[in-house]
Amino acid sequence: MKLQHLRAIAAPWLLPAATVALALAIFVADTVADLEIAFPAFYTIVVLMSVRFCKPRGIVAVGAGCVALTLLSDLATAASGETGIGVVNTTISILAIATTTYLSVRSESEKAAAYEARLQLAHVSRVTTLGELTASIAHEVNQPLAAVITNGNACVRWLAADPPDLGEARAAIARLVKDANRASEIIAQVRALTRSSPPQQERLAVNDIVLATLSLIDSEILQNHVSLRTELADDVPRVQGDRVQLQQVILNLMLNAIEAMSRVPEGPRLLTVGSARHDRVGALVAVQDTGAGLAPENLDRIFNAFYTTKPDGMGMGLAISRSIVEAHGGRIWAMAGAPRGAVFQFSLPGGA
Amino acid sequence: MSETPVIYVIDDNPALREALDGLIRSVHLSVRTFGSTEEFLRFKRPDAPGCLVLDVRLPGLSGLDFQREMEKLDIDLPVIFITGHGDVPMSVRALKAGAIEFLPKPFRDQDLLDAIYVGIEGDRARRRSSAVIEALRGHFDRLTSRERQIMLKVTSGRPNKQIAAELKLSEVTVKVHRRHVMRKMKARSLADLVRMADKLADGAETA
Repeated sequence: MKLQHLRAIAAPWLLPAATVALALAIFVADTVADLEIAFPAFYTIVVLMSVRFCKPRGIVAVGAGCVALTLLSDLATAASGETGIGVVNTTISILAIATTTYLSVRSESEKAAAYEARLQLAHVSRVTTLGELTASIAHEVNQPLAAVITNGNACVRWLAADPPDLGEARAAIARLVKDANRASEIIAQVRALTRSSPPQQERLAVNDIVLATLSLIDSEILQNHVSLRTELADDVPRVQGDRVQLQQVILNLMLNAIEAMSRVPEGPRLLTVGSARHDRVGALVAVQDTGAGLAPENLDRIFNAFYTTKPDGMGMGLAISRSIVEAHGGRIWAMAGAPRGAVFQFSLPGGA
Repeated sequence: MSETPVIYVIDDNPALREALDGLIRSVHLSVRTFGSTEEFLRFKRPDAPGCLVLDVRLPGLSGLDFQREMEKLDIDLPVIFITGHGDVPMSVRALKAGAIEFLPKPFRDQDLLDAIYVGIEGDRARRRSSAVIEALRGHFDRLTSRERQIMLKVTSGRPNKQIAAELKLSEVTVKVHRRHVMRKMKARSLADLVRMADKLADGAETA
């Protein structure tokens, strides 16, 4: 983010031009000076500057170019100065350039991976926290419904008049039908919206998804003083499905677990995330907490839409999780944990 | 002064505008609908009692802001708020600023109509009292400066003799002026004249 910001305020050609100018200056100085003076070491600065505007492959190219320039000016100055020390200096310089290039490329790739993870989190949380979307849909649907009701009431009044005004009553009904259709159109748009990203189908290693999701909730775990235990089996079969959607389910279960524990002031807070082979070819993921647990009579209801046991819950998280798991041909259920807390598990069928 | 009340509706949702138009006409009231406050301000309002049904969420100036703006623009209409997403603090703010009702959409038609009737009655009373003050001002403007002087002294309770002394006039002259004041102000008694003076003073304060 910061990188892009810097890039945006300076003229886009300024940094590349300065980099090329510096490389040329080093080349000239290196060529003019005696062989034993280690000017090529300054090429590392050129490589570091290129990080600002190059992709990893470009950084490698810049590093290679610097090495080539070093060798070129060595050839040009081979006649003058001490050859023995010159070769040692050149070798050290080339090693320095190569090392700098390697480290730069690695740190850039790591940054890119971190950026990718943030993007994913943004997507996951956008889909998970439906609050804003729901509020705006509710408002959009409410407008035509208010008009429907008002038109209905007006119609009753026109009919109750003495004599009844049938023309006005008919006009009110016509408006009412139009507004009801409008409300129904809005619902259809919302449906289309949620359908607009078709689930991706790929072969997924369940443990990878669990680990990737865990990396998204580090700060949540720290903030709520929760200990984390993972019990991932080695022999979990791969499953067919949508990585982001399944990540969403796991994220949702883990966030619920952390929240349940943060509401209990005492006792250990242990979040256990496990995976296992299920039904020979399928996979099972379990998320266990040490929170207050669930009342037995609620076990069936918690997956229903708009049902919530949280003081400020929407009752959507588990309902969405269930619809995702079922769309993958799996099953999700909850049970009491031992000695306390709750366990949420879902299974996914294996094979294809 | 025309006495057929007019209800003004400002809502940016055309469907609800049409629906409210129908509902309000069904109880034989005149109604004018507007999609924005600007549209409403451009409209030349007839000289008739009325009230304003105002949506809270509007493009540009919100309904609540417009309610405050109305005072500056000298628009003295009772306001009924309708809203798709009202919360308690918002409704408290509106009612404190003098709104008659704060109705969440969808509302019961009778609730809205009741509020409208309250609004019309309030506006009628306000217009009546301002019409009375208007008439009094007209009468007062026709007094000579000497008569005004004497009216103020009479209504603050001074006897004729004292007024004559203060103004260096004969008591008879004061009596003649005083009779003129009573006639021109259409006052039936001294008490009547005192009430008129109070009303004129109130009117001067609120204007």
